[in-house]
Amino acid sequence: MNMQTARQAGLIACHFCNTLNKVPTVSENDTQQEYFCSCCQSEIHSRIPNSLSTTWALLIAAIILYIPANTLPIMTVVMWGDGQPDTIMSGVFHLLDSGMWPLALLIFVASIFIPVLKLIILTGLVLSVHFKSHWKPRDRTLLYRITEFVGRWSMVDIFVIGILVSLVQFGNTASVSPGIGALSFSAVVILTMFAAHSFDPRLIWDVIDDYYKTTSLKEFVHERHEKARTL
Amino acid sequence: MSAIPNTIQIKKHDSQTSLTHIACPECDLLQSIPPLAVSESVLCLRCDKTLYTHHKNSIDRSLAFAITGLLLYIIANMFPLLSLKALGLTQDSTLFSTALALFQADRPFLSIIMLLTTIVFPATTLIGTIYILLQVKTNKINELTAPLFRFLRSTDAWGMLEIFMLAMLVAIVKLGDVAEVVFGISLYAFVLLILTLTLLSASLDPHDVWNKLREKNVNEGNNV
Ligand SMILES: [Zn+2]
Ligand SMILES: [Zn+2]
Repeated sequence: MNMQTARQAGLIACHFCNTLNKVPTVSENDTQQEYFCSCCQSEIHSRIPNSLSTTWALLIAAIILYIPANTLPIMTVVMWGDGQPDTIMSGVFHLLDSGMWPLALLIFVASIFIPVLKLIILTGLVLSVHFKSHWKPRDRTLLYRITEFVGRWSMVDIFVIGILVSLVQFGNTASVSPGIGALSFSAVVILTMFAAHSFDPRLIWDVIDDYYKTTSLKEFVHERHEKARTL
Repeated sequence: MSAIPNTIQIKKHDSQTSLTHIACPECDLLQSIPPLAVSESVLCLRCDKTLYTHHKNSIDRSLAFAITGLLLYIIANMFPLLSLKALGLTQDSTLFSTALALFQADRPFLSIIMLLTTIVFPATTLIGTIYILLQVKTNKINELTAPLFRFLRSTDAWGMLEIFMLAMLVAIVKLGDVAEVVFGISLYAFVLLILTLTLLSASLDPHDVWNKLREKNVNEGNNV
């Protein structure tokens, strides 16, 4: 079986419409030359330009902002004149104390588990490409896909704060105000969404394709798919 | 597998101009698209990415869902979603009042995020999709179609109404302990809207739009 990547075939696939565009030379340094899709006229690249450095920059910014996001209050609940500031973690503990453990679990997963996992996975992916790792490319691509899919759900706590702020407006008797931690946290979620977007998963496979050249793609192709499809 | 597409990337198939080969967006492997039955998908041979799904009546169904969605979106924004009763007072909340409350609480950044993810992007998705699908249906594609559809595809992940729905559930349970939470008229429209948006994204086949664009390019190329 002789299969090729689009780059090896001298083609650039459009990110939006999947049209394969024939280009004169697709080299590592194709950043100087701009190409446009023949179908939808969007700018096309064989790989996302400066993918690793952009992802690094966004990741580092997210990791730095993650500290104030967790240590500063995300909201302050004022009851009868007394203000009680809550961080993400203390909010989870309050929910546990009042017996609402399903909610505590939900907020924990969305606000702590997913963001941390996302930062770890993206950092790992960038490092794996940087060090030209051959380790389980299919699994790494799957990790990337999961990261991209679940990341946005971390916004749920920000939305809860928004709803509480707009509903609980009874002056000094009862009110909720958003804290600076919420600002940092939303920035973390948005930065990691952009970081996932700027990472190009094709870089994971380039390491392997460059090593094996065109011949041994077969090792990574599923047997069951080969049977199911005639190529 | 011998044919590597060099120049022939499109074929006339069922009076439609569609791709014969596709490069996996996540591993770049070039592969042919086999004939598919309705709602069958083709997965990438080496990374399992879903490359292509064959939809049934994608344009008509998506258009129906998008129009329904727009009506529900309007209703969902007209009346309160939730109300809180305490101390003889009632406080209403809508999508817009949530964004406004954050602005008044000196958090303009959060307010803008709220405005974009729960009001602006859902609206552009619905209106833009209706506009483009009508163009595809009536064969009136113009030079704005491609940039507009690209915008819709890239902002797709930033419309977060389903996440807002989950946040409302959390808020209802949280507040239910200390005060009376009343479901607003719009809440029912909102739940249906989430359902409709899910159905829309499941039924919409972006390739229908791109194939139409390809067809137009080919036809114009032939005329010249
Ligand atoms: Zn294109
Ligand atoms: Zn693939």
